[in-house]
Amino acid sequence: MKVDVRTKMLVVVVFSLLALIYQNPRILGILLALNLLVLALFRVNFLLLRGFKGFVFMFSGLIVMQSFFVREGEPLWQVGEAVLLTTGGIYYGISILLRFLVLACSALLMAGCDPQELVLALVKMRVPYEVAFMIQLGIRFMPVMFEELQNIINSIQLRGVDMRKVYRRKILRFYTNLFSPLIYSVWQKTEKLAILLEMRGFRSSPERTYYRDIVLTRTDYLVMGVVLTSAFVFVFAVRGL
Amino acid sequence: MTYITLKDVTFTYPGKTVPAVKNVSQHFNPGEQVAITGLNGSGKSTLARLMVGLLSAQSGIVHLQGKPVKQYSLAERGRKIGFVYQNPSQMLFNNTVFNEAAFGLKWRGVKKEEVMARCRELLQYFNLWHLREEFPFNLSEGQKQMLVLASILALKPDFLILDEPTKSIDTEGKKKLKEILLDIWRQGTGTIVISHDREFIQGLNRRSLHMIEGEVRENEGRREN
Ligand SMILES: Nc1ncnc2c1ncn2[C@@H]1O[C@H](COP(=O)(O)OP(=O)(O)OP(=O)(O)O)[C@@H](O)[C@H]1O
Ligand SMILES: [Mg+2]
Repeated sequence: MKVDVRTKMLVVVVFSLLALIYQNPRILGILLALNLLVLALFRVNFLLLRGFKGFVFMFSGLIVMQSFFVREGEPLWQVGEAVLLTTGGIYYGISILLRFLVLACSALLMAGCDPQELVLALVKMRVPYEVAFMIQLGIRFMPVMFEELQNIINSIQLRGVDMRKVYRRKILRFYTNLFSPLIYSVWQKTEKLAILLEMRGFRSSPERTYYRDIVLTRTDYLVMGVVLTSAFVFVFAVRGL
Repeated sequence: MTYITLKDVTFTYPGKTVPAVKNVSQHFNPGEQVAITGLNGSGKSTLARLMVGLLSAQSGIVHLQGKPVKQYSLAERGRKIGFVYQNPSQMLFNNTVFNEAAFGLKWRGVKKEEVMARCRELLQYFNLWHLREEFPFNLSEGQKQMLVLASILALKPDFLILDEPTKSIDTEGKKKLKEILLDIWRQGTGTIVISHDREFIQGLNRRSLHMIEGEVRENEGRREN
């Protein structure tokens, strides 16, 4: 189904809001299933999900932590007097994971869309052009920044330093090392870009011409209607769970 | 035992049809001195990255001291091979010139006095000592290049792979770099220098390889051991 960027935005917002409202893993599970269904309807390439591999590791860590620190419900794992794991902990861990998955999957809907269309959509929603342009730049620079970060990580290791074996005590200093050049290079890039934009007359006149236009078709209104109605139905349907 | 071995290595960048490195088989012995030349885009930098395992070949094998490179962690490889990128700015990540040079040694637990002595010697040699408190990103291109070289040389690796080390260095700096490269080579460090600079590689090319469209030709004429 080919829909407007704004329609996709609405879908993302609705799913994200619902994911943030609920904490019950059962409800979040249903939400995730619905989300995947929508992704399939919009023909999103599921292979994009592989991009989240890195996060999964981080989140598994978080979940384990949660499970150990939340002391509610029945004890599941006890060593002597100390309760290590409770049903409450597992419950929270799972709900966090599901919430993250819903947020990530709905964001995936935007992954395939053209940054220029996104700017247009924002401008049409009365977001100031400067702000919209900033968002576009942010999206465009993201991969560059990841590449740079990878470069720094490689360079550190090429100096014979194993990052996994750095002492805990010093980890903070180590990470400052990692991020200061990154921030510096981003700052340098923005400065260069600002000069370039100025030289080409960016915003020298308050109006700008758009070569492309985006319009909301009947499908869009239909999809928006269905999404909003379903959201309400969902809210009522899951009250009992 | 050979230090670095490549056997039938072929590498194609994702999305490309023509391989950047094609069927390369080469041995690099410990303490060898090699120069690699070739036109722009002939695959020199790609070959260097393959040797350090920053890229993985689609076919063929790359061995480091008899084991597949990938079996060593990147840090282990970094301890064995000193690799300097073609673009040195990508290798700078510290807040001062001195810390940049000292980074590897410091985090490896070398004694403070020794770190100080080694870095001081190198920075003075490359005329960077008076800039030791500067932010590395604010150096001139040539100075950055020399700083990266100094911070790699400080680690005293067994083998050095330098990708276009003279790109933005002045005549004086080149002379110094060449001297130090000859010096460490005499002390048993292997050196592989990728360069277009004929004058510079004179004397650093005990063995000389030439790359054409991803393939390596050995320059037989210069093979004198
Ligand atoms: N990151 C990359 N992605 C895709 N293709 C690449 C990439 N880097 C290099 N190439 C291609 O691979 C080939 C070999 O590039 P390489 O950088 O190894 O050449 P080189 O011999 O080092 O050239 P130079 O003398 O300019 O440094 C070129 O055709 C280049 O277009
Ligand atoms: Mg190159």
